[in-house]
Amino acid sequence: MVKRYTSQAYKAADDMVFGKSVYPVKSELGLEVGAGYVTAEVNYAPRPEAGVSKEKLVSEYRRLTTDILARAVQIGFPAISLETEHVEQMTNNPTWGGEIAHVQKTILEEYHEEYGIKCGLRHTPGDIREDRDLLALIGPKYDKLMESFEAVADGGADFLSIETMGGKEILDYSVLRNDVPGFIYSIGCLGGMDMEMIWTDIRKIADKKGRIAAGDTDCAQANTAMFIAGGLLDKNLAHTLAIIARTIAASRTLVGYEAGAQGPGKDCGYENTIVKSITGCPIAQEGKTATCAHADVMGNLTMQVCDLWSNESVEYHGEFGGTSVQCWSQTLSMDAALMNVATETGNAKLLRDMFMLSDRYRDPQGYILAYDNAYKIGSAIVKDGNDLYLRAKNAAIETVNLLTAADNKKLVMSKFELNALADAKAALEALTDETDTFMSDCLEKYKAEEPRFKPEANYKF
Amino acid sequence: MDIDPSKILVRYNVQKEKAQTPEELAAEMYPKEEPARTIAAAIFDGEEDDVIEGLEKAIEGGADAIKLIDDVLMPGMKIVTDLYDQGVIFLPNVMMSADAMLEGIEFCKDQSGSVPKPKGKVVCHVAEGDVHDIGKTIVAALLRAAGYEVVDLGRDVPVDEVIAAVKKESPMMVTGTALMTTTMYAFKEINDRLLESGMKVPFQCGGGAVNQDFVTTYELGIYGEEAADAPKMAAAILSGKGLAQLKEMFHKH
Ligand code: B12
Repeated sequence: MVKRYTSQAYKAADDMVFGKSVYPVKSELGLEVGAGYVTAEVNYAPRPEAGVSKEKLVSEYRRLTTDILARAVQIGFPAISLETEHVEQMTNNPTWGGEIAHVQKTILEEYHEEYGIKCGLRHTPGDIREDRDLLALIGPKYDKLMESFEAVADGGADFLSIETMGGKEILDYSVLRNDVPGFIYSIGCLGGMDMEMIWTDIRKIADKKGRIAAGDTDCAQANTAMFIAGGLLDKNLAHTLAIIARTIAASRTLVGYEAGAQGPGKDCGYENTIVKSITGCPIAQEGKTATCAHADVMGNLTMQVCDLWSNESVEYHGEFGGTSVQCWSQTLSMDAALMNVATETGNAKLLRDMFMLSDRYRDPQGYILAYDNAYKIGSAIVKDGNDLYLRAKNAAIETVNLLTAADNKKLVMSKFELNALADAKAALEALTDETDTFMSDCLEKYKAEEPRFKPEANYKF
Repeated sequence: MDIDPSKILVRYNVQKEKAQTPEELAAEMYPKEEPARTIAAAIFDGEEDDVIEGLEKAIEGGADAIKLIDDVLMPGMKIVTDLYDQGVIFLPNVMMSADAMLEGIEFCKDQSGSVPKPKGKVVCHVAEGDVHDIGKTIVAALLRAAGYEVVDLGRDVPVDEVIAAVKKESPMMVTGTALMTTTMYAFKEINDRLLESGMKVPFQCGGGAVNQDFVTTYELGIYGEEAADAPKMAAAILSGKGLAQLKEMFHKH
């Protein structure tokens, strides 16, 4: 059993600011994350043609890493961090991922030695525990995944991350059916259980190899909900429901830290503001700089309390201003410079609030993730911190309460969003307070409705 | 610090919203006579039990179970998909209505012991190497809801398997979904293999990574922007449209 969070690291929401965390972490090459300054975290994907052989992939990563570092010193940035999200071959063949980490780290070392630039390297193996027809969370794929973590840690990756998929088979079902109890079960309970298993093991590897178990994101579920919800005019999921999935995800992503993660949390975890309010650990975030990868309704707000600032992913190719990774790393680093100016001149909280207000009323999602409300969600989670079901349910209820209480002249919601919210409220009010009852009811229901659900094999029921 | 947001953003979704609620709009579209009206309302609400109850009553009253499918269940579902097309209701409502309607069809089949003739057969799949299957699930649900038989091959489907399924099932059309630029090239291969075997089946392709420019590079390909285009294309095929006409209908430029 892990030790659960039953209180928050910050006494007040206003204490949270970008670039600073309660428990900073340090990379091998001098980058301190959350120690008072924000740093760019550059993300990239190899071109499809590069995936055909190990040699081609290694050379693709060698080139793009060099490009990023070259640009960073040309423009005079004091620090830079890189994230390599594995393509499937790199995780399924652990030596590939390991070699690429090594090649990248060697380049970072050369630049660090020559220019003193502070560098960090994150590797994110893919969650390969999915067969064609079902999730296979435990078994040979899990062992392979752990081998991959060992290999990238050996190769020199400072920060170990993953985007795990526990619970996704149920979320995929419930997200198309407005099934809020299903969100709690899939994200909060099943996701939480899988997180505890995997992050306990990642931490062991990190300790053994002298690396940092960084953090996870509920990409597989809360981002699926966010993307299906889409823009203002999309008609696939109410944004009020997408944000409920998101706040439940905070409870789930928190489990990683309970099992040993130390930050920086993963960029696409839009639940990270809530998580940071509880753990005090640094977080990466993405927003307007991730428009190369996807569109969402919170481009500035997500900068409010970030420690690393990311672009999610961009294919490596040429642009008019250099290669794509150079263009994006420069944009990210300039954003970081602006935030760091605010810090140096005593204006950090002012800038934070401007970022936040730019998106606070754009959408129910931004409203809840605004740091003051996010903090309140954090409080609701830790209130029943010892129980994965109750705390996820608390997060959902607090979300509904905050949205209901919002000033409807400022946060204007459509009838459709309000109806979905009312339905969610009714579903939440009908939920039991007994964890065992909830768990056994859901087990029965989803076993009957979702053939891909393998509770014994995947969650050791 | 706070702000009056009206100068910095516009909630276009709120502005655009119809004055009438979806329930009111649906009620206007329900058939007048019973039990069709009650069953249509139950489909709209996604209430399976009410759908079955309505069907039971209708059958007790002498209605033919198989005819109920075409005369009552399908038109009831069409109200839902029409409202979705108009942007009045959201996808989960369609999914729940489709679940309820499909239960109704199963019930009618059991009652009559015979199998109704579907409008046509469609093979759906997600490209090899790609596990992103939510879009495909939506496509399959909308096709079923519109009365087509769907052979859902699932995700990460090897080209061979798609070809084998087309040979076996002789579908009126095939759909492909790909969300990764790395996986969508399988569609070209499927196209070539189908042509080699002389099977000129319209092949509608969509999903995040796919765009019209890519799809027009292979003969059988027709681009599908959104899931609702799949039943629309199936209907167009039924009405006799050939490849060239389908491209004209579904290609934007
Ligand atoms: C949800 C998601 C996931 C989920 C998938 C859950 C599931 N069961 O599907 C999970 C977490 C599993 C996942 C995994 C991965 N993902 Co992913 N994922 C996404 C995300 C966020 C949303 C996709 C989605 O579901 N959209 C909603 C659905 C409804 O949209 P849709 O499928 O396009 O369908 C709509 C239309 O296109 C249309 N449609 C679809 N098909 C068809 C067919 C026809 C005939 C018609 C008419 C219409 C039609 O209908 C739908 C609605 O109208 C996207 C982000 C993005 N920008 O798209 C990334 C994204 C697709 N993933 C990406 C990546 C890289 C991955 C991983 C490799 C990550 C990793 N390192 O492990 C793995 C891939 C594993 C694999 N081998 O496939 C990249 C792909 C980049 C690329 N190479 O092109 C994206 C673009 C994210 C990014 N910006 O980097 N992912």
